[in-house]
Amino acid sequence: MSEVVKLQLIGLSVIGTGIIILLFIQSKFLRVIGFVAIVLGLFSLVALAVPQMASLPPAEESIDIASIKTPADMASIGQKIFFSKGQCALCHSIGPSESARCPDLKGIGAKLSREFIFESLTQPQAYIYLDYRHEGLPKEYPARMPYINKNPIGLSKNEILSVIAFLQQMSGEPISVNPSELEMPGAAPVAPVKAAQSETVTVAQAH
Amino acid sequence: MMHQRGFIQRLVRCVAESPAAFAAIGAFMGLLSLPDLSMAADSGGGAGAVAYRDVPVIGSRNLVWVIAQLHLLLAGFVLGVPIFAWLCEVVGWKSGEKRYDKLAKEFTKLLSSAYSTTALFGGILLFLLIGAYPKLMAYLSDIFFPSFMVYCALFLLETATLYMYWYGWDAMSEGRSKVFHLFLGFMLNVFAFFIMIIPNSWATFQASPVVIAEGSDMARAWAATWNPTWWPVNIHRLIANVVLGGYICGAYAGIRYLSARGPEEREHYDWMGYVGNFIGVFGLLPLPFAGYWLMREIYQYNQQMGITLMGGFLSWLFILQAMLIGVLFLGSNYYFWLGITHRIPGSELKYRRPMLAMLIILLLCLGVWMTPHSLVASLEEARKMGGTHHPLLGVFGVMSAKMTVSNLMILVTFMSFIMYWRAGKEDTATWAKLAKAVMGGVLVIAGLVVVVLGVWGYFVPAIVRINYFSTSQVLIVIFVMLTITPLTALLLKSAKTTTEMVWGKMPPRAGYSLVLNAIMVILLMTLMGYARSSSRVHWHVYGVMRDSSQYAFSPALGYAAALMAANTFFFCMIVAFIFWVATMGDKAKGGKDGHGKDEMGHGALPAMAGGSPTLDKQS
Repeated sequence: MSEVVKLQLIGLSVIGTGIIILLFIQSKFLRVIGFVAIVLGLFSLVALAVPQMASLPPAEESIDIASIKTPADMASIGQKIFFSKGQCALCHSIGPSESARCPDLKGIGAKLSREFIFESLTQPQAYIYLDYRHEGLPKEYPARMPYINKNPIGLSKNEILSVIAFLQQMSGEPISVNPSELEMPGAAPVAPVKAAQSETVTVAQAH
Repeated sequence: MMHQRGFIQRLVRCVAESPAAFAAIGAFMGLLSLPDLSMAADSGGGAGAVAYRDVPVIGSRNLVWVIAQLHLLLAGFVLGVPIFAWLCEVVGWKSGEKRYDKLAKEFTKLLSSAYSTTALFGGILLFLLIGAYPKLMAYLSDIFFPSFMVYCALFLLETATLYMYWYGWDAMSEGRSKVFHLFLGFMLNVFAFFIMIIPNSWATFQASPVVIAEGSDMARAWAATWNPTWWPVNIHRLIANVVLGGYICGAYAGIRYLSARGPEEREHYDWMGYVGNFIGVFGLLPLPFAGYWLMREIYQYNQQMGITLMGGFLSWLFILQAMLIGVLFLGSNYYFWLGITHRIPGSELKYRRPMLAMLIILLLCLGVWMTPHSLVASLEEARKMGGTHHPLLGVFGVMSAKMTVSNLMILVTFMSFIMYWRAGKEDTATWAKLAKAVMGGVLVIAGLVVVVLGVWGYFVPAIVRINYFSTSQVLIVIFVMLTITPLTALLLKSAKTTTEMVWGKMPPRAGYSLVLNAIMVILLMTLMGYARSSSRVHWHVYGVMRDSSQYAFSPALGYAAALMAANTFFFCMIVAFIFWVATMGDKAKGGKDGHGKDEMGHGALPAMAGGSPTLDKQS
């Protein structure tokens, strides 16, 4: 017997109990309970009569560095990080969007060098873009860019490189990040791509 | 035996009226449950980093679901009742009608027991969440710790204010002290509002998180609090709480009306049922607008989440929602129509045709609202329909049609109320004809414009429809209410009463319709709670923290509905218990004084808040 059939039987028995109470019991309070039972039983039966669809979670994927052979593999992983752990899509859109709280990233991989993107992710206050999508003076975007390599997002260097690979790929650029740059677990860390040289906050003046 | 019964009653009352005692019991039960929780620990990341714990047999998710739902429903009741209790007190103070003051007091009496029960379920929920979802709770605590502190402080203020408000009712009943008492009631609602919006920020952050940059604890908590769906949910819940409180008090009155033993009791509970239904309808009218705003914000925040809700696996849920709202509208209108027919002798013939017309409009609107549109269909079903939209009915399934009919249903319900208000009265003002012509014109033009905009909505881009047409429809309906209500009030000020309203003559089905309305509201809240939670799909915090437990899936609607029905039933039983406890002392007092309920004179009943002006004089 399937779960739906079991629940339908329970619903029917609840309705039956309610009807029996209404037919044979005089106590007003119990009669109201019987009436409520009938209503709730009917509601359950209607809900059980519509198509039963559960929403199953997709399989969790972990990054297996050993399986990454090409820059395209990195871009594929970067895309997943962009829309999940990296939380980039919470604020950024890819293409124009009225609701995006931060700059549109369409074509960003072609406009910016990989070093600049890395800096933007790890030193977000080093160079701030302003919002020019309206009349008048440019203003700051409503959401402030967080440090992607620190908590609570805390992407590793491998993950950041993968995101850069994705941004370059979706901009139609050749991917300049190479799988050989990935840090193998347990191996000595290699030098970072390029850290910001200065903490000075610069405001973009160009459109 | 009697002595023992008295002791149990005193014990129950003592515990029910003391939040501290209930919290202590909650803490004790929570501690008892911890060993069970630890039985099935699921370490997500090695020793010392347990992500989930399960509860045997029922499962942690189901247990949290039930407790959270009961806590939320009780909280809705506890936050909704003070709003209209205070409003009733203000009306009683301004108009001098004692029955309103007594009604307000009667509602407030329920609060002390309901408040502590809500706190108890909140305590149990907290223990369960800490035990079953430690990783998620650690994450949320890290972000929201400052707001936890504010929440605790607000609870202390709310408790102190409630105690003063309730226990000081009789002591502060006259002169300046009454004004202070009203101020206490106002502050009670202010604190209650903030108590509601703080947990809303935690829940809405889970659904629509924003990226949190570096900063102080307070700055981070504030950034997370001010997320895109926070205010839409705050407003939606505030109105919904008033609706819930109103309809539950209506249901209570309905049950007491059904079991009333004397004419005075019948008159009183008939009037109380009317007030409860009126407050419920009063909140129900703007509620769809608030819901629309919330949905719009969800779509703006994340289109995928909006699609999951409206067109994905939850699409059937909105058909169920339409059914429940439809029954609620029908039930509320039916109660008004019963009132016109039975409370105002001679009106039934006069209003029979308008009532029939309203019923037909409501049923047609409900039919359109329940028409499915882009449902997830199997290949075979899609082939049979000739696409994902039904060839004939699909045209009614789109948002343009649904927005139009929901606005029309609100207009009809509003007119039902106006009709009830005007029944049994004859206009004497010289400008009455003109006013009636203006009101009729406004209503007809508004109805036509709503329909025209709805039809036009098919031929414009969605963004134009959403931003301009749907908003205009809402504004038009609000304009109708804001025009006709004061005009009617002005007309009735000088009107002559031709037929006195007779209370206590409603048939038993009126009591059942009040109960039905309350059940519909509770089911709606449980249903939309499931929708809100399921729209996050397999995320604890949407797009940020994934649910990797065995309960990461969202159950099918049938299973969920069975749990919703069970939660609704549990909630009704708890509320019935609260009402029983709250009125126990009055019954005992009545018995000790040597007056059985049947023997009480006019106005001597503890709940004798209404009935007729005569009763006011006698009490």
